[in-house]
Amino acid sequence: MSVLKICTKSFAASLGRQSERSVKKIYRISSSFRTFSTEGKLEYDLVVIGGGSGGLACAKEAVAQGARVAVLDYVQPSPRSTKWGLGGTCVNVGCIPKKLMHHASLLGEAIEDARSFGWRIPGNAEIDWLAMRDAVQDHIKSVNWVTRVSLRDNKIEYVNGRGRLADANTVVATLHNMKEVLLKTKNVVVAVGARPKYSTAIGAQELGISSDDIFSLEKPPGKTLVVGGGYIGLECAGFLNGFGYPSTVMLRSVPLRGFDQQMASMVVNEMEGRGVNFICKCVPESLSKTPDRRILVKWNTTPGANGGSGQGEDVFDTVLFAVGRKAVTDSLALEKAGVETHKETGKIFTTNEQTNVPNIFAVGDVLHRKPELTPVAVQAGRLLARRMFGNDKTLMDYDNVATTVFTPLEYGFVGLSEEESEKRHGPENLEVYHAFYKPTEFPIPQKDMSNCYIKVICLRREPRTVLGMHFVGPNAGEVIQGFSAAMKCRITMEQLLDTIGIHPTVAEEFTRLTITKRSGMDPNPQACCS
Amino acid sequence: MAKFLQLAASRAFTTSLQRLRNVFTVSDSETFMEKVLNNDVPVIVNFHAEWCDPCKLLTPKLEELVVPLPGIDLAIIDVESCPELVQAFEVKAVPAVIAVRSGLVVDKFIGLVDAQNIEDFIKKLSKQMQTNAT
Repeated sequence: MSVLKICTKSFAASLGRQSERSVKKIYRISSSFRTFSTEGKLEYDLVVIGGGSGGLACAKEAVAQGARVAVLDYVQPSPRSTKWGLGGTCVNVGCIPKKLMHHASLLGEAIEDARSFGWRIPGNAEIDWLAMRDAVQDHIKSVNWVTRVSLRDNKIEYVNGRGRLADANTVVATLHNMKEVLLKTKNVVVAVGARPKYSTAIGAQELGISSDDIFSLEKPPGKTLVVGGGYIGLECAGFLNGFGYPSTVMLRSVPLRGFDQQMASMVVNEMEGRGVNFICKCVPESLSKTPDRRILVKWNTTPGANGGSGQGEDVFDTVLFAVGRKAVTDSLALEKAGVETHKETGKIFTTNEQTNVPNIFAVGDVLHRKPELTPVAVQAGRLLARRMFGNDKTLMDYDNVATTVFTPLEYGFVGLSEEESEKRHGPENLEVYHAFYKPTEFPIPQKDMSNCYIKVICLRREPRTVLGMHFVGPNAGEVIQGFSAAMKCRITMEQLLDTIGIHPTVAEEFTRLTITKRSGMDPNPQACCS
Repeated sequence: MAKFLQLAASRAFTTSLQRLRNVFTVSDSETFMEKVLNNDVPVIVNFHAEWCDPCKLLTPKLEELVVPLPGIDLAIIDVESCPELVQAFEVKAVPAVIAVRSGLVVDKFIGLVDAQNIEDFIKKLSKQMQTNAT
């Protein structure tokens, strides 16, 4: 019961009287929060290991369905000793700070663009890294706090400790003071997510940083080498470059591997146009400290690769490794319950989020072969809880999940890449509509439009179901979101082209597609409104 | 009222001591019990967070207004350091300010309010104190 309510009731009843009862009540409430200072063998319907997007969504839904739930969350400090609070990767070292820094970076560009629209702006805009970082970190801390409050409000026990299995019904949490708490539970959900890998280059762990560190970096990153051409690497290089820090991306093979490669090349072209340097088909061999405390990186061609930038070396202020993420399953002692995981990746094999052990489940980035995205983890976690404790039998649909790469010019898509569509249906059964377009606001500040491109892949036979929609341009996330709902309804090309666009927007370009790749006609825009 | 001003004037030269005496931080329930609930004078309790911009405006303003008042204390609680108190008072947003007198919560407000509202809040608390003293 709320102390506040108690006190005001007493106050109304007895003005000015010292209330021993209120004092005792407050003391009782405060001592009840020290539940884990004693033995603590506690019984639960569900223990969730991992307080990130998937874990928290699952826990909250489980409680809503009447289950008794505990959530464990623990952050192993990065090799650079970076730590963070409750909320998982997304809140602390992922989506949220990434989007904020991407936005901050674009604002710098907008300030310059503003001049051509008539704004008088004295001097040149310069980023104050620490001020920007502090603003982002303050926001993250407020989210950490709201998350904690929300757990309490939902009556979910929160244990800030490192979880592992003792057996299929027992989770052991090791607290900061090394005390252990045993939680007996009917079910376990593993939602521990993943952490950045480092390259095997000499000196990588000692001198490099990862996405765990960049968002709270205590000094401006300066001239930066980003190793890795996945979306994390490209997004980081993108915003760092936008802030004015000379940035280089080193790709082992291709950018955005697994993504539509034509769209990936647009994204890379745009970044190159903005001054990001790309070193192709190379891997770092060694990192070493220079006398002036910078980092000398030596690299060579990727073993087995043809062509590429070739051997080289250069000095950087910061080296950021974005070479993949590894599931945090090693320390979970999953073998104590017999849970099967992938030998190399450590990810957990599941069917409908259930592992090979009937009462042990998993959601989020820790799952084998599922999209590593917050909304996917959230939805999967929620539906899982409903199946476990409610009457809903709905399964998670991992298909047609829209996503966006937040590079300076963003890439949003939903559905299949052209490569995957060809693999599944054969190129002769596909029609690919495409177009370059000119955002209305771009010509005045003379922004480069050569990478503003969209593509829709559909089946050639009736009904011409849309298989994939791809968009490179500003606000790609906002543009694509609505179309993912259309994809869920199995929208056909006819329906898409029958849709009337909003003018002037960039999203309307999807309703104006006429040219197919097969026709060989020029996909460049002619005039504006016709 | 005259008595009040006299008291205020006589303590003016010990402002720094007052600063130590009537503004303090609380980081655990025991201190809260001792210095807020069992305090002879009314206490304004300010739930504050370092990452919260409105808090950075409100807390100094509260300090500025409370320091010269002989009969009111100000307790500042960092929400990160004291989750039990945060939960006991159901603090869901910061800044949150409650007024405690004789172990009872007698008033509260949430969010950054303008200077006039803060002054009225404090005045109301000291008026109650005076009423009871006479």
